[in-house]
Amino acid sequence: MSGRTRFLARRVGWALVTVWVVITFNFVLFRVLPGDPARSGARDPRLNPETQAALTERFGLDKPLFFNFGSGAPFDSQYFIYIGALMQGDLGTSYARPDDPVAEQLGDALVNTLWLVLPSQFLSILFGIILGLVAAWRRGKATDIGSLAFSLFMWSLPTFFLAIILLFIGARYFDLPIGGKGTIGAAFETPVEAAVDLFRHLLLPTLTLTLVLLGEYMLIMRSSVLDVFSEDYVLTAKAKGLSTYRIIRGHALKNAMLPMVTLIALNLAFTVSGAIQVESVYSWPGLGHLTVQAVSDRDYPVLQGAFLLLALAVVFANLVADIVYGYLDPRVTEA
Amino acid sequence: MRRPLRPAAALIGLTMVLASCQGSASESPAASGEPGPSSTATGGVVHVGYKGSPDSLNPGRGLLTESYTIYELVYDTPISIDPEGNYVPELATDWEASEDGLTYTMHLVDDAVFHDGTPMTSEDVKFSLETYRDNDFPYESSYPDVFVDIEAPDPTTVVLHTEEPVGNFEYRMVFMYILPKHIWESEDAFTFDNAAMIGTGSFKLKDYETDEFVELEAVKDHWNISPNIDGVIFQTIDNDDARVAALTEGDVDMITEFQNTAIPTLQNTENVEVVTMEAIGGSLTDLFFNVIDPADCPGPSELVPDGGTCSGHEALRDIEVRQALAKATDKQQLIDVATLGTGTVGVSLVPPGLGDYFVGADAAFPFDVDAANEQLDAAGYEDTDGDGVRECRADQDCDDLTFRFNYPDDSTTGARESELLDAMWSAVGVKIEIQVLDQDALTSVCCPNFDYDVIMWGWGVDPDPQFLLGVTLCENIENGFSETGYCNAAYDELYAAQAQETDHATRVDQIHEMQEILLEDTPYIIPYYYPTINAYRSDTYTGWLTGPRGFGLDDISSLGFIRPAQ
Repeated sequence: MSGRTRFLARRVGWALVTVWVVITFNFVLFRVLPGDPARSGARDPRLNPETQAALTERFGLDKPLFFNFGSGAPFDSQYFIYIGALMQGDLGTSYARPDDPVAEQLGDALVNTLWLVLPSQFLSILFGIILGLVAAWRRGKATDIGSLAFSLFMWSLPTFFLAIILLFIGARYFDLPIGGKGTIGAAFETPVEAAVDLFRHLLLPTLTLTLVLLGEYMLIMRSSVLDVFSEDYVLTAKAKGLSTYRIIRGHALKNAMLPMVTLIALNLAFTVSGAIQVESVYSWPGLGHLTVQAVSDRDYPVLQGAFLLLALAVVFANLVADIVYGYLDPRVTEA
Repeated sequence: MRRPLRPAAALIGLTMVLASCQGSASESPAASGEPGPSSTATGGVVHVGYKGSPDSLNPGRGLLTESYTIYELVYDTPISIDPEGNYVPELATDWEASEDGLTYTMHLVDDAVFHDGTPMTSEDVKFSLETYRDNDFPYESSYPDVFVDIEAPDPTTVVLHTEEPVGNFEYRMVFMYILPKHIWESEDAFTFDNAAMIGTGSFKLKDYETDEFVELEAVKDHWNISPNIDGVIFQTIDNDDARVAALTEGDVDMITEFQNTAIPTLQNTENVEVVTMEAIGGSLTDLFFNVIDPADCPGPSELVPDGGTCSGHEALRDIEVRQALAKATDKQQLIDVATLGTGTVGVSLVPPGLGDYFVGADAAFPFDVDAANEQLDAAGYEDTDGDGVRECRADQDCDDLTFRFNYPDDSTTGARESELLDAMWSAVGVKIEIQVLDQDALTSVCCPNFDYDVIMWGWGVDPDPQFLLGVTLCENIENGFSETGYCNAAYDELYAAQAQETDHATRVDQIHEMQEILLEDTPYIIPYYYPTINAYRSDTYTGWLTGPRGFGLDDISSLGFIRPAQ
């Protein structure tokens, strides 16, 4: 095996172990939480005992946690039933909305979240990098100070506040919809009309999320490029008489991107959990919205599924970041 | 209110979800804030912005108010309630009880039709009542549980038999959403998702997306109320400010919930009207004391595996202390500060929205700090060490009148209210240690564990007092329904009597007497009741039922009668 293949195999192996640990931890976490899901699942503390018993049985909460020693089937326990179901993509039954399986709820919400998060991430990364580069190059000049102030302001602005301000402005002056992911009950003649409707609904939440994320990318990019600019090899490049563009493109950018890759990977993973505040303000039916709902409903199966999805996204994004690192910085694969 | 909305009651203005009788709005335009339905236009789809989303389309399974709002529009019930709180015919044209009170006969309309075109008959009513009775549904099962035998002798007659007389027959019918037997009989009612939601109501389900919207279409040739509009869309808008903005910017025609702080903004917005209604039933905030006698402390059970803790403060088992606290509570101040003046002064567990059953505004101890101090002095609680807190008596096993005080963390007003109470009660030498608890934790200290001193919580109230007055029965101490551990044989006797009393006037007397007992013994202090507050746009639709009493603007009593504004 070449060094690179070995590196990949090791990374994937560790990722799988991490996933198993996460699944188990996730399982235990929700079982040791105080509060009886059968009671709180129905949200009525005074549910009559028969109904509670029926709920407990229905959700399998009457079985032992890890090993069923009492019976002939030691694996007839909550943990192994959970793992078994997980293998088949079955994340269980939601307590609060028993008609919709958890996997279906999460799937729908994930698609909605990606509609919102991917364009926002793309835009904020693009503009963050450009602004960061320009600011670093024009260090100390008005451009630098202006974009630095803008980024710091956006980064420190509370998300919900920015969201609600943009919502008021958008609804009042630009006749944009107040929330949701489409005009309800509207019959569209052509796919173009439907796309325009979706775009109008996406505009404000995407703008909010882009502005919120932009600041961090810009600041990291700026400081990273400044670091690189102080390196000897950039000085050498300058001394060789290379143009500014070639110095940035050939020497600075690739090295400055290392911390950015980490940040992008982490951010991508976390935004899978949904831009919780943005989704809440704009009633966007994504993962963040679903998670908030599940917390207030004490809907443990949905929360458990959402946590699992988030953990998988973090593990996967880190794996991708590791691999990308390998290309950007070949020394990593040797280690 | 049908569900005992303990945790949510403190948070939201609950919307009453009962259907009203036919013609209530058109017959009484004077009750409306509009200058009468001058418009004759029809059509249009009304957009309602609301906070949640139904948790199930199966009426047996629903727990949330949002679900019942939809059930009321899609289904009909045998008997209904009008905005004055009277029981009126719906699917049943009339009904009578036998002399002995053990047989109830309902005569049904003969022209009601399900949304799929099938006629509704007594078989459907019998099937629905039996389905609700025989499944372990959280709420729906409690209404028909007394009817041991249900017959359908002919297509328009239903006969119900009970083992004992029933004092509230009509009330037991108002939430019985009549289901189509031909669809439900082949399903397991407990798990059926009811995605098509076929009923006989004035609106039928057109489209539904969890957490996004519910789209209803008007039934134009309905047997009872044919709406003037074409349909209603209930749109989920989670954020309170966004919901208010949706109304002021005209994205929706009506909103059902908002924070009290938004009221001035809405009132000052052109073409927006805020409607405050005293709900039939309604909701209340309560303060209750752990008064359980250690001898009554619950033993080990499924709810409390190690038995109740029963750690209540001994002084709170003294009626003098509880009465003094009731006198020291300035309810009006709580209303003004915590709810920005939207509530009405509380008396007992039966709110004024229950009509006759309400015991009267003067029945509670009036606010009188001096009287409270005198009572505590006379009872032997003195502040001997001068720290501002009265000491317990020598014969008691406690130091001073310092009480643990809990309220649920989802209450938006709890923090302000508990601070106000702290100030009010310290004026009579009582100190409280405030701790906010998560709903689960509050339930687990409350009942039947009885590991608390004072709790502030809330209730949504049914249109009949029987449910909530059961909260102070001895027999409910073990099962966790009793929050206080209160037990009084005379009270229990009255409760049993009213449950079987078929004479309304006698039952009213019994229920008044029960409330007077509770006011005297003071296991509860009711700071205030609060109304249903909605807001609507007056430039899009007219004819909303905005009278002083009602069910909220998302009820058939409004949606069945409004018209597009011209």
